[in-house]
Amino acid sequence: MNKVFSLILILVSLGILLKACIRQDIPQSFPERIITRELREINYPDNEKNINLNGVDYLQSQAPVGKFGGELIISTIGEGPKTFNPCNTKDATSSAMAGMLYDGLVTTNPVTGDVKPLLAKEFSVNGCDYVINLRKGIKWTDGKPITAEDVMYTYNEIVFKGLGNPSAMDAMKVEGKLPVIQKLDDYTVKFTTPKPFAPFLRQLSYPIVPKHYFKPYSDKGESVFNAFLSPNTPPAEIISSGAFMLKEYVPAQRVVFVRNPDYYKINLNDNKLPYLNKVVYMIVGDTNNEILKFEAKEIDVLALRGSNVARYKIREPESDYVIYNLGPDTGTLFLVINLNNRKDKDGKPYVNPIKHKWFANRDFRASIDWALDRKNMVQNIALGIAEPLFTAESLNSIFLNKYIKGHPCDLNVAEESLKKAGFINREGKLYDADGNRVEFDLYTNAGNLEREAVGVMIKQDLENLGMKVNFKPVEFNSLVNKLTNTHDWDMAVMGLTGSPLEPHDGKNVWTSSGSLHMFNQRPANYKIDDRLDWEKEIDEIFTKGALKLSFDERKPLYDRYQTIIYNQKPIIYLYSPIRITAIRKKFKNVFPTSLGGLIYNLDEIYIDEDKN
Amino acid sequence: MEFLKYTAKRVLQVIPLLIIVSLISFFIIRLSPIDPLAELRLNPSISQETLDKEMKRLNLDKPIYIQYFSWAKSFIKGDLGYTTAGEKVSTKLKERIPNTLLLTMVVIFMTWAAGVPIGILSAVKKETSLDRLLTVISSIGMAIPSFFFAILMLIFAVKTGWFPVGGLTSYNFNEMGFFEKIADISKHLVLPVIVLFTISLSGLQRQMRANMLEVLDSDYVKFARAKGLSEGKVIFKHALRNAVNPMITLLGFEFAGLLSGAALTEYVFQYPGLGRLILEAVMKSDINLVMASLMMGTIMLIAGNLIADILLMITDPRLRGRS
Repeated sequence: MNKVFSLILILVSLGILLKACIRQDIPQSFPERIITRELREINYPDNEKNINLNGVDYLQSQAPVGKFGGELIISTIGEGPKTFNPCNTKDATSSAMAGMLYDGLVTTNPVTGDVKPLLAKEFSVNGCDYVINLRKGIKWTDGKPITAEDVMYTYNEIVFKGLGNPSAMDAMKVEGKLPVIQKLDDYTVKFTTPKPFAPFLRQLSYPIVPKHYFKPYSDKGESVFNAFLSPNTPPAEIISSGAFMLKEYVPAQRVVFVRNPDYYKINLNDNKLPYLNKVVYMIVGDTNNEILKFEAKEIDVLALRGSNVARYKIREPESDYVIYNLGPDTGTLFLVINLNNRKDKDGKPYVNPIKHKWFANRDFRASIDWALDRKNMVQNIALGIAEPLFTAESLNSIFLNKYIKGHPCDLNVAEESLKKAGFINREGKLYDADGNRVEFDLYTNAGNLEREAVGVMIKQDLENLGMKVNFKPVEFNSLVNKLTNTHDWDMAVMGLTGSPLEPHDGKNVWTSSGSLHMFNQRPANYKIDDRLDWEKEIDEIFTKGALKLSFDERKPLYDRYQTIIYNQKPIIYLYSPIRITAIRKKFKNVFPTSLGGLIYNLDEIYIDEDKN
Repeated sequence: MEFLKYTAKRVLQVIPLLIIVSLISFFIIRLSPIDPLAELRLNPSISQETLDKEMKRLNLDKPIYIQYFSWAKSFIKGDLGYTTAGEKVSTKLKERIPNTLLLTMVVIFMTWAAGVPIGILSAVKKETSLDRLLTVISSIGMAIPSFFFAILMLIFAVKTGWFPVGGLTSYNFNEMGFFEKIADISKHLVLPVIVLFTISLSGLQRQMRANMLEVLDSDYVKFARAKGLSEGKVIFKHALRNAVNPMITLLGFEFAGLLSGAALTEYVFQYPGLGRLILEAVMKSDINLVMASLMMGTIMLIAGNLIADILLMITDPRLRGRS
């Protein structure tokens, strides 16, 4: 008995001792200022100049002159690159790595989102004609000049043939036809699109590859080309054009890039960039490991998520890092409603006709929109690191319709519009005009904690209106199957990543024949025209919008499509996460922008240990 | 001669086993609802033609039994096929196998070098305070989940800064001298080895102790003692040789675990071994990669058992007579 007693005593005192060791470093509440703080006002000098020195057309960076040397260590989550072939990348990591190696003709201005020349010296657009002047005297890493032949080769024999990843070719087609490319002289090429096609200029950012290195492989056909430049290629053999060259790839550990000593970008003192000797990508399996690596100072940049933001923010003053708020990102989280009224092969409707009657009613959808408490979701699920969203374009899009202000959550308005639609609330239970209880399924992909939490909140919010929501998280693949194949779902919480620069990229979602037109998916080769009026209008907008070339002409069209979606609410947008990133203070020439991110200008970033 | 016949028989038995294992695993993976193209389907910029092309490349448009036969045919020819990302399965495995072998062999060597003597010690000092202490330690080792222990170790590494956080080599590994390289790898190995060592040591130590106790209790040991042999001779010459037989069977299983035994720990420590590769392959239903690793695991298990049997025949004269 005595023994038992002393054992308990020891355990209790041990427990108290251990408790004393736990230092609380996560604050209970989130200070408002962290959440609302804006992007720091640092202006990136984006007015780069073309300068001809000794017959070479250099691109002169206007950023402050820095010191040469040092290395930047970043992380990439997942399995690492699958290929270094820029024409065959199918995942984000591979395209980032291959993008380090090969420059495109043009690139995006990280501040304004405009198209600016990169490998091209300058370009001019005249209707369907795009004349591109190349830089004279610039070279591949093996010393051979970069000429119009390489551009011709890249487009004619890779892009337009659909070699590698054919999505670039798909995107360039205008009504099924591809542009034509012509060589005017050794340093000038001309593209001609079949019709004026706005997205085309931006598509010229496709990486240009060296003909003399790629051709032997592309000639041997698809399978040889797909295996070409696999991660096992000896780095010394790779001929590239980017600011950094591949030095080493260690599977599942890291990818090391070293500075290209003969890059065509120079600083204000006419010295060749980049400043950094090395850029290292550490391949880490998950975000937890990434955080540990940042804490252990093994990596220099960290994307902060959730509760970590507050913790890092509090420790920022006495730390060696700075935190930047890059604003909302392109990811969107939304609730999509199935408006499908078609029948499957056996004549059975995909959606129960009783439910379809509710879903097809605009007032019903509006009541859902008004009942959802986005602020609450942002505070409790995203821990304040997000922004409520009401538009189909993401918040950092240059085409964002700024007139759509959104609305707060208001149950009265929601109930009002339900009444208008003929629904009756009896003792907290909602019935339609025919006396059917309003009950439907809400799906999302299981395992995604954020979406599951959002689903639970939507369920609660809608139950305030008397709707019965059966929330069913299912395996990701079965959800995709439901959305794209079997169509037997009522509502779903989903997310997609859009392009902040080109709304036309969303055409698969918004046009009525699109393959991701989830809320009213038509089968492939569907002949019957059963488009809703507003679907028709959106179809027209997307056709017209692609044909107009100037931003000012396009903007009102895409504003209109966002207004239609906001009014019709087939997809109800919820929120967009905010990107918050920490980087070590020693790195200079860091000019975070909403469109470019934090380290888009790797060739201008340098290290200065002294001044902070 | 007997010996060769026995081995040949065992090797032949492997073939039906491999067929059954491959059939079961292939169908289970293919019938699971994981669609390797799900991510692509939800990408707004991917066209239907691209999806169809991918279906064709991955053979997903054919019935499942044809998929199996085409896989089996190339497997017999020694061709492991390509991953969904288009890389050769054999090169992917070749990249990772040495790393996993390095880790598991160090661990196995250490556990056996420590576990067997500790087991003997606690059997000989049965029910003394030393034995009790060892029992408590090994119980803790058996009770603690490996991934949890691994995470604790990682936090330890971050807080102290003494060890790197996961991985196998530092980013500037290639510029190091020979001895620096060895030091770098050792530094990275310390934590995962500690985790795996603690966990497998306990089991081995308990096993050895039990075997030894059984033997020490037997008549021939009593006889040897009665004969007046020194305690050392009794233990090492008579008892140990008999107690070690079951351990050899165990060693066979350890051999099977050489390539797959450390998956969880590998994952937590971001160790570039097979475990992490295969886990991710299963998640993405990367059939060729998963099948290759499963087949490899089966072959390793069978080979381990075979080696154990052969070793037993060498050490145990009773078995030689029977076969």
